[in-house]
Amino acid sequence: MMLSRMADALYWMARNLERADNTARLIEINLLHLVEMEEAAFGEAQWDPLLRITGCEPLFVKANPKYGISKASVVSFLTQDPDYSNSILNSVKLARENARVVRDRISKEMWETINYLWLSSQEQLKLPLPPDRAPAFYSALRNGVARFHGMTQDTMMRGEAYGFYWLGTLIERADMTARILDVKYHILLPTVDMVGSALDYYQWVALLKSISGYEAFRRTHQAGLRPVDITEFILFSAVFPRSLLFCVQRIGFALEDICFNQPETRTCQAFRSLLALLEDNTAESVFKQGLHEFLQEMLQRIATMNQALQADCFEAYLGEAIAVPH
Amino acid sequence: MVSSLINSTGIFYAPKLRTNMPTTNVLPTRTPYHEFYEDGQRPRSHYALLWENIQRAGLDNLTAKAREAHLALNADGVTFTVYSEKEQGLERVWPFDIIPRIIPAGEWNILAAGLKQRIRALNLFLKDLYHDQRILRDGVIPAQLIYQGGDFRREIVGIDPPHGIYTHISGVDIIRDEQGRYLVLEDNLRTPSGVSYMIENRMLERRILPEFFERYRVKRMEHYPALLLEALRRLSPRSPNEAVIVMLTPGIYNSAYFEHTFLAKEMGIELAEGRDLVVKNNFVYLKTTRGLQQVDVLYRRLDDDFLDPLCFRPDSLVGVAGLINSWRGGHVAIVNAPGGGIADDKAVYAYVPEIIRYYLAEEPILGNVPTYLMQKDQDRERVLDDMENMVVKVVNESGGYGMLMGPSSTADERETFRNKILANPRNFIAQPVVPLSQHLCYLDGELQSRHLDLRPFIIYGEEIDVVPGGLTRVAFRKGSLVVNSSQGGGSKDTWVVESTGERPEKER
Repeated sequence: MMLSRMADALYWMARNLERADNTARLIEINLLHLVEMEEAAFGEAQWDPLLRITGCEPLFVKANPKYGISKASVVSFLTQDPDYSNSILNSVKLARENARVVRDRISKEMWETINYLWLSSQEQLKLPLPPDRAPAFYSALRNGVARFHGMTQDTMMRGEAYGFYWLGTLIERADMTARILDVKYHILLPTVDMVGSALDYYQWVALLKSISGYEAFRRTHQAGLRPVDITEFILFSAVFPRSLLFCVQRIGFALEDICFNQPETRTCQAFRSLLALLEDNTAESVFKQGLHEFLQEMLQRIATMNQALQADCFEAYLGEAIAVPH
Repeated sequence: MVSSLINSTGIFYAPKLRTNMPTTNVLPTRTPYHEFYEDGQRPRSHYALLWENIQRAGLDNLTAKAREAHLALNADGVTFTVYSEKEQGLERVWPFDIIPRIIPAGEWNILAAGLKQRIRALNLFLKDLYHDQRILRDGVIPAQLIYQGGDFRREIVGIDPPHGIYTHISGVDIIRDEQGRYLVLEDNLRTPSGVSYMIENRMLERRILPEFFERYRVKRMEHYPALLLEALRRLSPRSPNEAVIVMLTPGIYNSAYFEHTFLAKEMGIELAEGRDLVVKNNFVYLKTTRGLQQVDVLYRRLDDDFLDPLCFRPDSLVGVAGLINSWRGGHVAIVNAPGGGIADDKAVYAYVPEIIRYYLAEEPILGNVPTYLMQKDQDRERVLDDMENMVVKVVNESGGYGMLMGPSSTADERETFRNKILANPRNFIAQPVVPLSQHLCYLDGELQSRHLDLRPFIIYGEEIDVVPGGLTRVAFRKGSLVVNSSQGGGSKDTWVVESTGERPEKER
């Protein structure tokens, strides 16, 4: 049992950190990708998907009424726009502010890592990030987040607080992975069986790389880059730590950590329905019903899970239940 | 950075007492007491051991140790917040001087006895004020003084706090006059802060100067949080073993937030904000992930004004609606009890010696700084004629805010204060400038003398305890008498020593 506000802060600390990390991955891969492409479709087509993945198109248009979608405008918006609450800078800031709230619940090492991450990001983003320094920035940011997770594994007491941190990380990761796949798939999928042009090839590679899954996929699928295999890997791999199934299964473990695995709670019902969606489907059935529809359903169930947590844990006091002392 | 800290010559010299001190805040005619030097040259006997070692090791060694201290504080994130115009408070690293202040146990025991006497009397005073008011009826203190002070809380008259204690935690500011006498400058009975820095200073000093602790037999005080927890636990309306104790903080932007987290961690209690608490059916509850959990003791670090919008300021967003009613019903203990502020009102301060005589029939062990009440015609005339030599203070401000330092003031500032005093005399007191005692500090690679005070912390539990030592606050700015950390102050570790550190004959 812990303070609702603390649980809420731990959860959003983790979600915001994961959000910053995923956004950095997306931009980084897109930037590197431009270099790799031989005959590239520069400009709008390359950067528009990023806005769609993160669901911020309307905000972007408002912030950039004149210039429209370009590499510079999208990168700057997603990275450091002060008015966009999910920009990397704002996500790191929110993560750090939430960490400050729970400073007495996290280890000293965790606090120092996240504090340093905020201070150095703030320092580097004082001015617009120059394109030649951008990749180094994103990679440093991902390293910082990874260090934070490492510190957490090694120094944080297991129990309820850890459960909320882990839950936030996994839910955000599952959400982002589903979004990345959905948008890329839209652009990519000509046929189920084969990768079409060279351009497609690079796009699929970029998709895998953006979730650090390229090498893992190659090791398990030596036949080649078949979209159906890639999709199956991202959705259903039981061993790849960023696949949807892997994340959702771990959400179950995290629920045990916070002792919220009683079947009758809203949270638990939402979790079961989320897990069922993955367990009851295969790559084939997903393609039959349509990947986009499947992923939209997935995102919907993740949102439901988030609302259930909100009601059961962060606003538990609104109910009549009076907890037994200690 | 590094080079500026290191004295290039490395030659050690004893600093002379500065005769050409700048005039800011200092009365040139009065020589402050020096805690370290006996006659401007020779260290007092209880500093001899430390002095010998500093001399032997040299300044470079001191520089290395000062650097180590700064790095450790930085890495540990020991910070305080300076209020600024921006949305976020600025966090600063706690300024620390490595040369300890040493107080022989004999001297300390008298000081501690004086503090206990004072806190005992002030608690009897508060209980009387909020019940029978004998002291007012007997004419020892003018009733007007109490009722006109903003800090008397009519709302709590007649409420009985557990064990009749109002100020479970106090931090009394002590200074030394030119003769070296310990005087009380201010009683801080509301939410005094600084205890976490006192403990941090000690942990740091133990790491940096470990060799002296045994020789000096320095008394321990790191058990303060344990003492405090015990005192809190016994106030619980339910059995102390099942007591749920909660610390109430105004939040992360409060200047003392570091201290709030420090104490909550040390005591293993929940750190809550007002929005984490709710009152239902006159009981106070904590909002947890499992629903509501009943709270027995609330250690609040929030002023009375903001505690309960139903009782005090209705615009408070950081308090808990209904808290005072729950307290009145005996369902929760509040520490310190509401209403205690009237006893550290700076005008009431002038009467504390009388208060001690009245309730305890004893002579005060510790003296006061002479204080003029602007309400009294005679006092007021005297002060208005001599403002250059006075410190004028608002009666219920702390942290060095709202003060006029006569000697360093401009004619305009004095005029402003004169008008303010005439408009609302009850709101002001004045004291002659006391040149705070000085001590040796190691600043910018040099040994220099600086003014300081002392804030010992007193816990009123089953008995009254004063942890040996306290927070020594130092005005790091040359010549300054303002020790507040928000205004360029720093601190030292304070050692109450059983031994003066001389080696027994056979070891020599």
